[in-house]
Amino acid sequence: MKTITKNQLTFATLISILTLAFRFGLSNLLDQRDFLLVWVLAAVYAILMFISGYFIGKKDHESFPYADSGFKFHLITFVVFVSVSEIWYLLEYNSVYEYIKTVHLTAIFWGIGLLVHYIFFRRTRRNAIKGIDRSEIFD
Amino acid sequence: MSDATLLTELLSAWEETYKKGQLTLWIFMALKEEKKYVEEIKTFVEEQSGQSMSCEEQSLYRNLRKFQHLGVVDFEAGKGNKGPERKYYFLTILGQQLLNKFIQRNISLFFNPKIKNLLTTEE
Repeated sequence: MKTITKNQLTFATLISILTLAFRFGLSNLLDQRDFLLVWVLAAVYAILMFISGYFIGKKDHESFPYADSGFKFHLITFVVFVSVSEIWYLLEYNSVYEYIKTVHLTAIFWGIGLLVHYIFFRRTRRNAIKGIDRSEIFD
Repeated sequence: MSDATLLTELLSAWEETYKKGQLTLWIFMALKEEKKYVEEIKTFVEEQSGQSMSCEEQSLYRNLRKFQHLGVVDFEAGKGNKGPERKYYFLTILGQQLLNKFIQRNISLFFNPKIKNLLTTEE
């Protein structure tokens, strides 16, 4: 089974750029105390992330129906978001209104969610043959 | 709804369900005959099924990728008539065993004289 597919790599690259743009925009808007636009930015970021995941994920599944595709996309999103955010703080690009604790708390709670997803994925995998769900082999 | 329309509608609905999953059998039969590239598989399926089965090349590629991953189909590069080399797909030993078992368990029963007789259509 492939560790990462071409579509997943494209997704990782795209959301890295989106997350960098989001962090840049967020820190700047907070420095300018433009709190209303922060909400707009967060909403736009969330929508773009969802659209990217939805369409690239669909393309990935159509290209090859690996049973772990959904979990992999979730894991990539988590790793990219947390890594970019940690690096942002490490390089001290953050606003004075941003605290590293927020990223850590996000990572913990999201990490728990990811773990739950992993448990469900492990259950689904029992129904797979060589990484493909039984129902999708001869569909 | 007239009886003729109802018949057409029901037949169409039944066939939609019936044909799901049939593509694998047709692909395997195409490859049992001889090694084929995708275009040849498509032609075989459509001609031999009397055009009742249609398949997009994209769908064939997707299925062949899955079957190759599972080890029931493999390919070798071969010369095309013109242009670049083509992938000639064939059934592996596992693929042949799978097809044989499937035929034994699911298709051969239709050759039982009693069933064969029942399958004879009356106009």
